[in-house]
Amino acid sequence: MMYSLALASAGAAAQDTVFSATVVEPYLDMRTQPGRGYPVFYVAERGEHLELLRQRTDWIKVRNARGIEGWVHVDDIGKTVDGSGATLALKGPDFDSFTRRNWEFGFMVGDYDSTDTLGAYLGWHFTRNLSVELEASENFGDYSDGRMITASLVHQMFPQWRYSPFLTIGGGVRQTNPRSTLVSTQDRTDNTADVGAGLRIHLTRRLLLRLQYKYYVVMTDRDDDEEVNEWKIGISAFF
Amino acid sequence: MENRHKRVFLAAAVCSALTAPIHAEEQRESWQILDPGIERQEFSSPAINRDDFEIGPYIGMLSIQDFNSDVLYGMRAAWHINEDFFFEGNYGSSQADLTSYEKLSGGAPLFDDSERDYTFYDLNLGWNALPGEIFILDVYALKSDFYFVGGAGSTDFLGDNFFTLIVGAGFRMLLNDWISWRFDVRDHIFDRDAFGNNETTNNIELSTGVTFLF
Repeated sequence: MMYSLALASAGAAAQDTVFSATVVEPYLDMRTQPGRGYPVFYVAERGEHLELLRQRTDWIKVRNARGIEGWVHVDDIGKTVDGSGATLALKGPDFDSFTRRNWEFGFMVGDYDSTDTLGAYLGWHFTRNLSVELEASENFGDYSDGRMITASLVHQMFPQWRYSPFLTIGGGVRQTNPRSTLVSTQDRTDNTADVGAGLRIHLTRRLLLRLQYKYYVVMTDRDDDEEVNEWKIGISAFF
Repeated sequence: MENRHKRVFLAAAVCSALTAPIHAEEQRESWQILDPGIERQEFSSPAINRDDFEIGPYIGMLSIQDFNSDVLYGMRAAWHINEDFFFEGNYGSSQADLTSYEKLSGGAPLFDDSERDYTFYDLNLGWNALPGEIFILDVYALKSDFYFVGGAGSTDFLGDNFFTLIVGAGFRMLLNDWISWRFDVRDHIFDRDAFGNNETTNNIELSTGVTFLF
């Protein structure tokens, strides 16, 4: 960081840290906008210094010494060096980053006890095998709607597999609201416990597909607990 | 004389004792062909300012099936996963007026005012299908995207929550590096049983808004 600071040109945003890169490959393509379809309008030569201004998805906005600004793919910036000659450790997300992901966010739709269900979750991987997940979901039945918040511990046995199976166990709280078209009954709140299994499939770059089954026990005040099967499919991204 | 002989022998003995290990050392050094001082490859990870998220308010019209069209307000947030796909969440609200039947019959209204509040949230996956560039004279070149969205959500209307499917398309124009202007058309599709029998309703949203990237 100090090297980049030292290299920062005087005119550019003095209060912000400016990172710089030097081209070591024969050339570096600069595009007009962040996207692979946009035209290359400038080609930086070997030895040229670039300021790294900002990053949007897999593209980095750069400015050269003559003030020409353009967008360079992060994998290409990963082939440049900083002021001390150290390679910039920048690259786009790939399968390797999938196996080493820390956070995962996604949403899922499916079937909860023969009703439509919808949920969003956030997961934190504290080891390569284990993660904790927090999920909020809502289901819409003919007789009642429900909202549920669950926390789960998720274990994936083979984090290095593209098709990665997992087991999950958790608990939470469920609120059930009978539909307004029915004779009025009370809303109720119950605790739940669940076990489940599923599969994560790395699709491309940062995206993964998630399939899961969960078996819930809703601990009601009545004589019998409710036992519910839930199937879900969802799309998630990791970071 | 004897002393001198002794001194010579002693000197010779000391010399040989000192030189012997030196010779051995030299020999050992000569075997060392490989230089273990391999240079470590250095990596640096600059923390470049990222702006993959956008959030902002929007305003529009919502045409509620069997009801009128009314103003819609909402908040929209998106996370750009890569240049092609983004996750998007919306929260919005509108209010339905009287149905045509209620207006014509002149009788008592079928629903309370509070039941006419239409609030919804949804989560969508967006696909930047047609990325482009907009030119204003020869001064500005603004990035644009024509995108499709699809997802699911929940609609709270007429006293119940309904599972809602969202399909739509939109257009986003980046005014600078961190402000974008969006136009959207969405269909909120859900099955509603408020009038007795279950029917599928299409509720069309037309909206525009600004979002801020960060």
